[in-house]
Amino acid sequence: MSKLLEIEQFSLHFPGRGALLSDVSLHVDDGEAVALVGESGSGKSLTTRAALGLFPEFSRLSGSVKVRGLDTTSAPAAKLLELRRNHASMIFQDPRAGINPVRTVGDFLTETLVRWRGLSREEAYARAVTQLDQVGLRRTKDLMRQYPHQLSGGMLQRVMIAGALLDSPELLLCDEPTTALDVTTQAGIVELLREQQQARGMGMLFITHDLNLAASLCDRVYVLRKGEVVEHGGAREVFMSPHADYTRQLVGATPRIEIDKVPAAPAADGTVPLLAVKRLCKRYELPSGEELTALNDATFSLAPGGSLGVVGESGSGKSTLARMIVALETADEGELAINGRVRAPRPLRAAERKLLAKDVQIVFQDPYLSLDPRIVVGKAVADVFRLHQGQGRAEAVKSAEKLLERVGIGPERFDSKPRALSGGQRQRVAIAKALAARPKLLVLDEATSALDVSVQAQVLELVEELREQLGLTLLFVTHDLAVVSRLCAELLVLQHGEIVEQGSTAKILSAPANAYTRMLIDSRPRALWEEQLA
Amino acid sequence: MAVTELAAPPARPTPGRKKSPATSLIVLALRKVGTLLITLFFASLVVFFSRFVLPGDPARFLLRGRSPKPEALVEITKQFGLDKPPIEQYLTWVGGILHGDWGRSLTYRQSVSDVLLNRLPVTLELAALAAVFITVLGLAAGILASLNKGGWDRFILITVTAAGAIPPFVAAIALTALFAVQLGWFPSFGSGDEGLGRLWHLTLPALALGLTFIAFMARVTRSSMNEQLTREHVEVATSRGLKRSSVVFRHVLRNALGPILTVSGVLIAGLLVSSAIVEQTFGLTGIGQLLVQSIDRLDFAVVQAIVMIVVTAFVLANTIVDLIQPLIDPRIAAGTESR
Amino acid sequence: MTLTGTIPLLRTRSYGSLLSGTGWFAAVVTLVVVLLSVLAPVLAPYDPDFVDLSSVLGGPSGAHWLGTDALGRDLFSRLMYGGRTSLMGPLIVVAASTVLGMLLGLATGWTDGWMSRILNRIFDLLFAFPALLLSMLAIAIFGKGLMAPILAMTISYVPYVARLTQQLVVAERARPYVQAYRVLGFRTPWVVLGRVMPNLVPTIGAQSTLNFGYVLADLAALSFIGLGIQPPTSDWGAMIEEARGALLGGHVLPGLLPALVVVLIVVSINVIGEELSDRIGGKLS
Repeated sequence: MSKLLEIEQFSLHFPGRGALLSDVSLHVDDGEAVALVGESGSGKSLTTRAALGLFPEFSRLSGSVKVRGLDTTSAPAAKLLELRRNHASMIFQDPRAGINPVRTVGDFLTETLVRWRGLSREEAYARAVTQLDQVGLRRTKDLMRQYPHQLSGGMLQRVMIAGALLDSPELLLCDEPTTALDVTTQAGIVELLREQQQARGMGMLFITHDLNLAASLCDRVYVLRKGEVVEHGGAREVFMSPHADYTRQLVGATPRIEIDKVPAAPAADGTVPLLAVKRLCKRYELPSGEELTALNDATFSLAPGGSLGVVGESGSGKSTLARMIVALETADEGELAINGRVRAPRPLRAAERKLLAKDVQIVFQDPYLSLDPRIVVGKAVADVFRLHQGQGRAEAVKSAEKLLERVGIGPERFDSKPRALSGGQRQRVAIAKALAARPKLLVLDEATSALDVSVQAQVLELVEELREQLGLTLLFVTHDLAVVSRLCAELLVLQHGEIVEQGSTAKILSAPANAYTRMLIDSRPRALWEEQLA
Repeated sequence: MAVTELAAPPARPTPGRKKSPATSLIVLALRKVGTLLITLFFASLVVFFSRFVLPGDPARFLLRGRSPKPEALVEITKQFGLDKPPIEQYLTWVGGILHGDWGRSLTYRQSVSDVLLNRLPVTLELAALAAVFITVLGLAAGILASLNKGGWDRFILITVTAAGAIPPFVAAIALTALFAVQLGWFPSFGSGDEGLGRLWHLTLPALALGLTFIAFMARVTRSSMNEQLTREHVEVATSRGLKRSSVVFRHVLRNALGPILTVSGVLIAGLLVSSAIVEQTFGLTGIGQLLVQSIDRLDFAVVQAIVMIVVTAFVLANTIVDLIQPLIDPRIAAGTESR
Repeated sequence: MTLTGTIPLLRTRSYGSLLSGTGWFAAVVTLVVVLLSVLAPVLAPYDPDFVDLSSVLGGPSGAHWLGTDALGRDLFSRLMYGGRTSLMGPLIVVAASTVLGMLLGLATGWTDGWMSRILNRIFDLLFAFPALLLSMLAIAIFGKGLMAPILAMTISYVPYVARLTQQLVVAERARPYVQAYRVLGFRTPWVVLGRVMPNLVPTIGAQSTLNFGYVLADLAALSFIGLGIQPPTSDWGAMIEEARGALLGGHVLPGLLPALVVVLIVVSINVIGEELSDRIGGKLS
């Protein structure tokens, strides 16, 4: 039998533009799990889609992409249909975008069975229900009638997997299937994929930006950078002794929990805490009329010069907490004091807001939306200097340029609009804008989670430096325990709006007292070889 | 702070009473119908009290352009109840409408409802025929353009842009000049007899009336489908080995229906309003022409009636569209998506 | 006053390809038509209302470049003067509705107090009256002419602009960059008028450009059915109506020319509007 998937010297480009993929070669054998690792823009999604004969419109191809000997770059439509139906299936990144929102789960699962497997509706229904059971979903008969918006992301991804497995493929292509999900949900999905892959003896090509995840699932790894394979080999070798510079850099930048590197908390000297939160509550009314408790009874404090990591999954209330601290939300109950001044329990007046701005600033997650698209970065930062430091136009521009250089934005960028900057550069500008108000406390709301790992590492390094030089107090909101372990002396774990554990980061990470915290730590992907040791 | 010590509220986001989809649909429907009634009420206020905008003797206003003989003034005062307070006049007017009595026409010297009933069929037939043209031609052009990138798409887009800029009255003149005067294929005037003759007489007017809307429909269909074509769920469907036709019908067109439907609601109003111009041009005796003539002849009771009817039709059409939307997209009923 | 259409043009030029080749052609056509109309008193070879019964329905000639109408009036001059009335109406409507709508939209989009709620209900009510219908009602009350329909159309288009602005503002308000301005302590009026509004102007401008075409067509239609501009004032819609008799007699030009001009200007404006909104829409998202 010919090889399951064999890509040879495959290149793809658009007329008049540089290559998106150049000379990519890789193969996947039967029953083998292979990872394709790369950052955004590396071309990893293009490569996988090529295996199904899904090419972007107007693209030019060369080389070959063979599945069971069928070259998808030249195969006729009928052959491609046959390939998609009987040999290969794909699981996409975002199940919410990938499953038609106006059709039921049952419709999604049965349509291929009815359309071309020739099953009757009853047979198809029975097969689909069995498959849903198999991917670990409960109340499957009810599920069949439900619409995607009624399911959680994790459940939907299981539905997507069920849909892919229904066609009993020999090759399973996974395009970042867990990136849109929480850590604990991700762990379940990875477990399911591994189980099914081994039980069915499928070949699997797993795309991810996360080296840890790749190591936890795959025996072999290809590292892709700007459309070129820069390294491939056994997962362990690539991870432990990378050859290519890029891989080495990637391995170095990949965050991991290192308890011995957790920063120390400032010595307790009995001063007034910079941030003191007592029994804080926030509730929202949902469009359906239900009430959602986003944050319940939160009590903690943060000393000047300290660093606190707030960790939780989506819906844990961590962003609500961050937004309340900077007064973008008003608490329903409880007390919030910054620098000993208790916040009034109402939306702030303009003057109060300006005063608060000198105490606390925030950097948001999305680098593409957190800067005003129309304002050049030099002016954006200068505006803050004029407002807060009372500087004149010329002086403010000078201060802004100095600060921008400090955060790593060169003079050639001062007159650029945000669109001309990369994601990492935009976050640097956002940090500069926040610092221009000279705050004591800097809140980072998932400020690095939208960035590529290598960029994230650089921005984290910048934050670390700034903290030391400026004596900043940090409150870092994130879903990633590893990021916290590097930056924060203290840790606070949130689940469903409730603080389940708080204390010193090193202590919690080495000996978590709470079951949920333990689960968060255990859900982090572990390399296959580590697991075999354990 | 003592309050919170009594009992810790539930930690989980309280799910509360989960409403079943069916109930939320009914609630949604009731709310839409309620909005419809409120809108109609306020619209009737606007229509009725619009004539109070002008200061002066209301009787003389209603008799503009006619000889204000004392008898006539007395008669009009009695007929419209002008000696009563405005609120009472309004209540009488609305009460009459609810009983099918729209008042009396000054020009025709008969009840407005009789005049309207005589003329309504032509307008409805004209609008219906135009609607058929719009649905068939507009949808077809939009789908064709969306599925055939390149030559066809460009050709249709250019045609549609040009056609969309031809106002109904210009289209009416152009079609008359070409098909009626030069070629003599269609009549240029009148509404003809019942049946096929009527259809023959209405073809040119319906085309003139529908032209901009055909273009509009094609444009919306095209862009709505194009938007769906880039969605990931369409790619997923393709990756699962569905045939192109299945993908297009079950996933692209199906999901593109929402905006198309929304536009249809607006189109219905547009058709009724623009029919005034087309009917006037082609000499069709519908309510559109009646509206123009009544404005010309200062027959205000008829104007009020027609405006109210068109507004009602418009609001009703939009409400029906709003009620169909949640059936097309279940997320709307859940309140997570709005259109 | 012409700024509503040209602000996005100027502002976005620095981004490179603002309009395609077709778009620029449309812009040039619009400009030429506008200039000819504005400069009519200087450029027009004849008095547009000068009746010359000796040269009735004459074809194009050296004396009359585009020929004459049924009363022997010079078509070219009438077209130029007709542009003044035909363009002035939509210009007033679009300028007034854009300014008013944008301000109301900013106010109702930013705050959610009772004022906003009442305004929103009023918008909902006005949406129930199509612009052309409200214009006819206004004509029935105030009498024929341009005054009533211009007033009515303005009232009709304000809620459209306001709703668009409102949706944009609500979306913009939730964006991190606006929230960052709040956290930084900038005052709300400065943020709304100085920072948010300029980001919305291109989109609203593109929509208003499209509205211009719709209003022009509707006003011309009213003149055509005899409810708008009254003879002998020249107006493209009215010119088409006056030429109907000649048309049935086989004289095409007097009707064809104004019809062509109307279509040409509406096409051009639509092309510009569509291209602007496509490109700006693509950039914002």
